[in-house]
Amino acid sequence: MIAARSVPIARRQLLSERSKLAVTVLAVAAAVALVLLLSGLRRGIGEQVTLYVDRQPPVLVAQAGARNFLAQTSVLPEGLGKRVERVPGVAAATPISQQFAMFTLHERRVLAILIGYDPGKAGGPWELASGRAPHAAGELVLDRVVASEHGLRPGSTLAYRGARLRVVGLSSGTSGFMTPIAFVTRQTANALRRQSGTANFFLVQPDPGVTPVALAARIERQVAGVSALTRTEVAANDRSLFATVFSKILLPMVAIAFAVAILVIGLAVYSSTAERSREYATLKALGLRSSALLRLVGVQAAALALAGSALGTLLGFAAARGISSVAPKYLVAIGPETVAFVAASALAMAIVAALLPARFVARIDPATAFRR
Amino acid sequence: MSVPVARRQLLARKGRTFAGIAGIATALLLVLALKAIFAGMEQRLTAYIDGSGADVIVAQRGVRSMHMTESALPERAARAITALPGVARARPILYVPATLERGDRRGLVYLIGEDPGDAPIALARGRRPGRGEIVLDRELAKTLRSPPGSSVRAFGRSFRVSGEVSGFTLISNAFAFVRRQDLAATLRSPGVVSYILVEAEPGVRPSELAERIDRAVPGVTASTREAFARSERRLVGDMSTDIVRAMILVGFVIGVAVAGLVAYSAALSQLREYAVLRALGLRARGALGLALAQVGTMVAAAFLLALALVWALAQLLPALSPLLSLAIKPGDVAQTLALAGAVALGAAAFPALRVSRVDPASVFRR
Repeated sequence: MIAARSVPIARRQLLSERSKLAVTVLAVAAAVALVLLLSGLRRGIGEQVTLYVDRQPPVLVAQAGARNFLAQTSVLPEGLGKRVERVPGVAAATPISQQFAMFTLHERRVLAILIGYDPGKAGGPWELASGRAPHAAGELVLDRVVASEHGLRPGSTLAYRGARLRVVGLSSGTSGFMTPIAFVTRQTANALRRQSGTANFFLVQPDPGVTPVALAARIERQVAGVSALTRTEVAANDRSLFATVFSKILLPMVAIAFAVAILVIGLAVYSSTAERSREYATLKALGLRSSALLRLVGVQAAALALAGSALGTLLGFAAARGISSVAPKYLVAIGPETVAFVAASALAMAIVAALLPARFVARIDPATAFRR
Repeated sequence: MSVPVARRQLLARKGRTFAGIAGIATALLLVLALKAIFAGMEQRLTAYIDGSGADVIVAQRGVRSMHMTESALPERAARAITALPGVARARPILYVPATLERGDRRGLVYLIGEDPGDAPIALARGRRPGRGEIVLDRELAKTLRSPPGSSVRAFGRSFRVSGEVSGFTLISNAFAFVRRQDLAATLRSPGVVSYILVEAEPGVRPSELAERIDRAVPGVTASTREAFARSERRLVGDMSTDIVRAMILVGFVIGVAVAGLVAYSAALSQLREYAVLRALGLRARGALGLALAQVGTMVAAAFLLALALVWALAQLLPALSPLLSLAIKPGDVAQTLALAGAVALGAAAFPALRVSRVDPASVFRR
């Protein structure tokens, strides 16, 4: 009796040309890794833009109509802090100034968020890598990553808006691709923008037991001309703002990367199918239906898509880690939802790629197996 | 008589060749499209500067851009500039980022405060802003659903929309215009302006005037409109260099992999033909030339296809998303062509190595 045995045709065909298989998987992996990196960069930018706000007291008071901490203007009279502090539930209201600072370092523009704060109060650098916090006019604490990129250290000076700022310290945990953070005294910041007696925001610390949401609502009711927002709300608005802008640039790239991956898989499956048309004709002559052949092609496409995606995911994580050590200002935050999205996309890629040679397979004439 | 072996081998499997060309084209498109997006951003970035009618732009000392930049000058600097010889007019403006709201719709803008009669930008619809009024970019007006006559809110107060301008929408912000006095009151900055737009008298060279202003007025940097616009455009380059470099690397890897894959599988399926050619006297160097010719043809076709695709994208994308415009610059095309050349060389190695190992005697075995 002969035992029924199946032949793993799909696997054998794939493994028969290992170098071709390796190149195909590598090309798919490169495309998948690109999708992961771009998605991670978009998310990383979102996380970096809230670095400052995330470390501040839970309520922010801004000029009426303000919804964000970044990329919009809010100007309040300095004296408003006293009125905010009279609202029941407010422990302290600290004024800060905030501006986008376009530094020119080594002939290249470097964008930073310049925070002006009152020495000894909330709003200043939370971790110093070296030097000290600013306490006099014209003193600056700079993010240490930006400083090291441009050879700046405590004692260096840099020109900004007609003033010479002297670096007195370097801060840690303040790095960002678009938004590294720098600190000066509020007096310096106000002098740079010729707005003495003003603040851009008040950082509000609630009394124990007072919830930020309730306190923000109470401040808005009791103080005219202000927007009071919770830190969470402001952070979400800033993340959404920057992510939306970057999505417009990155999404076409992600779409093209997907197109590349689909084409590569389709191309590999198509060429191997075309090269094996005689083998397929023989299988058809032996009674294998077109649907079974299609399944065979589909299995090959799925295997390539999954292998490429798995390798691409590994490459993506390795590249993200490499980027953060070589260029710490870039945060590539690859979340589980991105990996899940890529896995689902790999399946979609396999289906689309398998459809490319489907017509060819369906048209194979079994009689060609007997021609020479 | 010569036989066009490379062409015939490519055309023997048209489907595979065309799929390969499409794959390489898509990899090149990654680079071309990204560069075109950034070039499009650069062009849009200077729409206001280009249309400002200024010959010289004066900013706070050291400031040479507007986007994501702050500048603060005393208003009296405008009077000092007006008094200089060669100056026809000096128009102070305020320039701040702001959020406009209408119901639950929001739009990020650069709000420009101009004096009545000072605005050179042509209106697409309506009239210049009066007190408490605002002119919006058309795309922003669509987003906010704010036609002339409706109201939007900014800084906690209401502005009535009096008109629209067209072509002043960036990828991140749009432009909107109000009276300078309105904005100064809102910003609590009386006597402070952001920039001063200077028009030269006929016959006065902008570069000379800029130097004169720099010498005569303390605390300012005066740039010609062209120099200022150039500096503004460089901002995009300064901020995107690393991303573009990374994309070029990825485009190269994918391009080489795709082109190599196609050429290698073509070589595998034609090993007997190569053996025949080797038996007929084709040297290893000739086989390499053949592989290079095949890959080179495919990459050249892919480059043209990528160019056509990015051109099609440049026509199509603005219709889908008015905020995204693509600009194709000759320098970027040349860089992508160089990348395509590198891809061809890299990819030719795959089949060349395989073909150079073909034993001419194998043609007689079966």
